[in-house]
Amino acid sequence: MITVPVADSKPRSLKNASVNLRDLTILIADPGTFMRRVVYGMLRGFGANRILEAGDAAGVLAALMQQKIDILILDAKLPPQNGLAVTQAIRRNTDNENRTLPILIMTSDAQQSTVKEARDAGASMVVAKPMSPTTLYDRLVWIAFDRRQFIDCPTYFGPDRRFKIEGYPTGVGRRASDKSIEVAEAVEPNLEQDDIDSLFQAARAGQSE
Amino acid sequence: MTEKTPPNVRIFAVKTRFQELAQRPGGIPREIAIQQAESGIEGYKAEFVDWVERELQELTQALRKIDSAQPDMAQLDEIYARSRQLRDTGTTMGLALLTFVADNLCRVLDAIQSGATYDSEIVECHISALFLARQNAYRNIRPEQVPEMTSGFHRMLERASRSLPDKAG
Repeated sequence: MITVPVADSKPRSLKNASVNLRDLTILIADPGTFMRRVVYGMLRGFGANRILEAGDAAGVLAALMQQKIDILILDAKLPPQNGLAVTQAIRRNTDNENRTLPILIMTSDAQQSTVKEARDAGASMVVAKPMSPTTLYDRLVWIAFDRRQFIDCPTYFGPDRRFKIEGYPTGVGRRASDKSIEVAEAVEPNLEQDDIDSLFQAARAGQSE
Repeated sequence: MTEKTPPNVRIFAVKTRFQELAQRPGGIPREIAIQQAESGIEGYKAEFVDWVERELQELTQALRKIDSAQPDMAQLDEIYARSRQLRDTGTTMGLALLTFVADNLCRVLDAIQSGATYDSEIVECHISALFLARQNAYRNIRPEQVPEMTSGFHRMLERASRSLPDKAG
């Protein structure tokens, strides 16, 4: 099999990096009308000008069929099944041109099992709700500068589930239970789950960065 | 560089349109973008207060419909969905205490869904606390500033979880 190396593998700090969201099509999918409004307000503040909304999985799939979506911000419990099933459906559909779409999962249930399920479904990043503008912005920056490769194997399609620490901890780390056949060999140190949990606990208690 | 990978694994680089466009120069600098987002949310606060009021009225209505002896899961789901929305937005809108109480209520409902006995007083108590937590006087109060209250809620959660099948045994 062919392995394409990442062009620039030097760690860089993302601490003060900014993103240009103008003309990017962003889809917010959450069953909560006010939650969607809050995320919409944040994205507008960040400079986004093409923002779509969906309240359920059917709305997401319809939007993906109708147009090119650049990033999906998706609730982990999106009805009728959940956002993780939607993520998996997008990633596993070989005919879907949006298959490698960045997917940011929002979850109000920051338990390890949910984070693990999101990662295994192919999420690009997980963010705990309630979230502050800073938290959302930094995750978008992380995704924008994310140089992870994609893994395609019989049991998984999605971003490499091993994360690098580049600047600040923002995401899901590697677990001891990761199978190398699914993620290939580790090349750099990865974020520990304890760090993620403490971040999530802080966010839940309203102490987001 | 070529790494050794199993034959049925394909590893490839992806640069999405999001990454290409998001990295363009000319974006709003981070600090300003965050400030603008905060101002935008600030503008929703009056609307949020009205929305919370409506949600709490709906929660009260939903609670009244529940038969304590044999609660209908669909009705509990409605309470759960509304509580989740309050939990997800409270802190962002400056009502951290509202998020705390709603989160505790969600955990109580999780326990009920997992088989714990439904106790209407515990749910009612949470809804009353949500009415309190939405008031202006409680804006910007964090759960850690009211430890007596938070420990009371934790005890309620403990009580609700006590009858869980795996704990009862």
